[in-house]
Amino acid sequence: MSDIPITAYKCKKCGKIHYPFHDRCLKCRAREFETLHPAGQAKLLTFTQIFNLPWGFDERFLIIGIGEFENGVKAMGQIQADDIAGLKLGMKLKPTWAPIRRVYDENVYGLKFVPGA
Amino acid sequence: MPIDMELEMVLRPPQIPMPPYPPKVITLANGKQMVVRQAEREDVPTILKSVHPCLFIERDYYDIVSARLYGELLAWYRYRVKSEYCLIGQIDGYLVGIVNGRLENAKVGMSYHTLAIDRGLRIGSHLFAAKMEYHIDYIGQDEILIVAESPIGFRRWMVEYPLEPTTIPHELGGGDSWLLTRETYLKAKSRLVVGDRPVPKPLLDEAMADIKFADDDTIREHIAGLKGR
Amino acid sequence: MRDVAILGVGMLPFGRRDEDTLMDMLAYASMKALDDAGLGNGSVDAVYVANMGGGMLQHQTSIASSLVDRLSLLPAAAETIENGPASGASAVKNGMLAIASGYYDTVLVAGGEKMREVTGWRATDFVATMTHPQAEYPYGITLPGMAGMFTRLYMEKHGVTREHLLAISLKNQEMGTRNPYAHVEMALDREGIYDSPHAVVNNPVAADPLHLYDLCPVSDGAAAVVLCTVEQAKQRAKPYVVIAGFGQATDTHTLAEREDPTDLKAVTLAAQKAFAMAKLKPSDVSVAELHDAFTILEIAESEHVGFFKKGEGGKAAAAGKTRLGGQIPINLSGGLKARGHPVGATGVAQVVDIVWQLRHELPENRQVKNATVGLTVNFGGFGNNVLAFVLKRVEA
Repeated sequence: MSDIPITAYKCKKCGKIHYPFHDRCLKCRAREFETLHPAGQAKLLTFTQIFNLPWGFDERFLIIGIGEFENGVKAMGQIQADDIAGLKLGMKLKPTWAPIRRVYDENVYGLKFVPGA
Repeated sequence: MPIDMELEMVLRPPQIPMPPYPPKVITLANGKQMVVRQAEREDVPTILKSVHPCLFIERDYYDIVSARLYGELLAWYRYRVKSEYCLIGQIDGYLVGIVNGRLENAKVGMSYHTLAIDRGLRIGSHLFAAKMEYHIDYIGQDEILIVAESPIGFRRWMVEYPLEPTTIPHELGGGDSWLLTRETYLKAKSRLVVGDRPVPKPLLDEAMADIKFADDDTIREHIAGLKGR
Repeated sequence: MRDVAILGVGMLPFGRRDEDTLMDMLAYASMKALDDAGLGNGSVDAVYVANMGGGMLQHQTSIASSLVDRLSLLPAAAETIENGPASGASAVKNGMLAIASGYYDTVLVAGGEKMREVTGWRATDFVATMTHPQAEYPYGITLPGMAGMFTRLYMEKHGVTREHLLAISLKNQEMGTRNPYAHVEMALDREGIYDSPHAVVNNPVAADPLHLYDLCPVSDGAAAVVLCTVEQAKQRAKPYVVIAGFGQATDTHTLAEREDPTDLKAVTLAAQKAFAMAKLKPSDVSVAELHDAFTILEIAESEHVGFFKKGEGGKAAAAGKTRLGGQIPINLSGGLKARGHPVGATGVAQVVDIVWQLRHELPENRQVKNATVGLTVNFGGFGNNVLAFVLKRVEA
């Protein structure tokens, strides 16, 4: 059982994995899916360090990337790091479910990848 | 008006001695060379000629920044403020930016204002950084109190260094001050403070010879340039 | 299906336009286009207005309905079109189809945006609303951030370097100094933004590996075109421009779900469809306006539309092949990079600039000699909704 409460969808007909939700499979347009959660470590597919953040963030920068989990789910998440010097395409990251922003003084939770854990 | 020097000694606040700021030259995004140097008290009337047209530009809070800067520079000129300094940026001898501040005590400084007369070249960023460099690297201070009137200033300083919020009141009654510590400055220095020293002689001579300034209309256009139809 | 011609064009200088409201800009640009079309006192059958942010930034909706009233174009049909940064091209497409179908004869298409009414943080957030609301937006992702992630992969896969991106910044800002309608009229110096150690302040990282000067500015502005039947265009007894072909395609919403995120499928498909309809090839194009919200996109689009093979676009730009006088001049308006990017206006402004090129109306320092075919690519979202137009000059 994965700790990451993101629901991904595997097409019952062709096996394609989707996240986020689609009413019809992107590959075969079938409509029945099994649900699954991202499981295992994530492989870093790409990343960036963003300055000039949108309204609602007080940080100086954010590091954001896309990870591919061992069970095939792909998702965007923030990366916990002081800078991007230590990040490399293809490296393994530990996924966590952690606060990613504050809205009206409350934490909003989301995917946060942690390198080297 | 005759000046009574005995009375002046009562009215003039004490001054903390400051080492001079060594001039530097910065290459800007358009390739122009900006000389950053310390202004002398005698330069104030000339500098004020460039500040004056900004008093009437609402855009980006130029009016309030220049109104406060005008008062601060005049106070320095007329010996009515403690330990103030002023650094200026010049391109081809023309004044393109002004920053000022003062020393509260030997270890704590106060940043006053930053006015960029030519825009789109990060002149404000470069000159603000030069001020911080002066306080920390040359005067040897540990902390500087900073305020911002404009969202641009907020983005460039409070967010970018970053600065720590405090409850220390603003000198002129505005929002509370923020703090730059020596530690934060040193961490941020490599990405925010640039410049070459010494300044090549011809450039420095040109900057020192004269503070050229553009006419009011040119200044207004550079700052508040309206796109026509 | 009837052929559709462009009877009139007009635009405002893009930039920071504090003195104008959104409606002011749309109206002024529309009047310029109507006057250019000889319809200054006339009427149109329908109006399409491209705008992305009116509801969010100006708290104003139903903008097209407001414009027809403001311009005294009643009782023309009117719709507001929102397709993110591709709103402009979508509006042109809808206007074109309206005439091609035979239902309307004359259509005004206007695009406008007023993004500088709000602070940078809010403008960034507004643009980020294009991203997926659950899977992307909450993370604080921005469009430059999407472009940064894309650039990292494109550099890895296709060998694009910072020097290649620099070639685009320098070229487009140089062209901006020649375009009185451009937001940014300042030429960049290579040393100031790249070679010098001072570049760390002048050209800081924006969304690694993209720097400040790899990004277009946030702009206000409006542009408009008047579309008509070919018969109407012929009546003016001078060369005119037709929309010879268009194409539109979509791709996955999230970057994560693209099989190969470096493959801009929607760009490839949109361009292929446009060329097929026009019965022309990439090598027939005299001049192009490609959506360079980020310098990497000009390189990537130049490859995906077929001007260069994958991996060759950056080298071609660095070798000067996309400058005025080069093999395929791209973004001689300054592109989004220097002309600016008021999101709803851009797709229309691209068409305006190509029309000027094909009419041979531009000064020598921007005009491609004997230009006959033009291509525009308007990139919506982060490449998940793309439109392309092929425009052709027809001699009188």
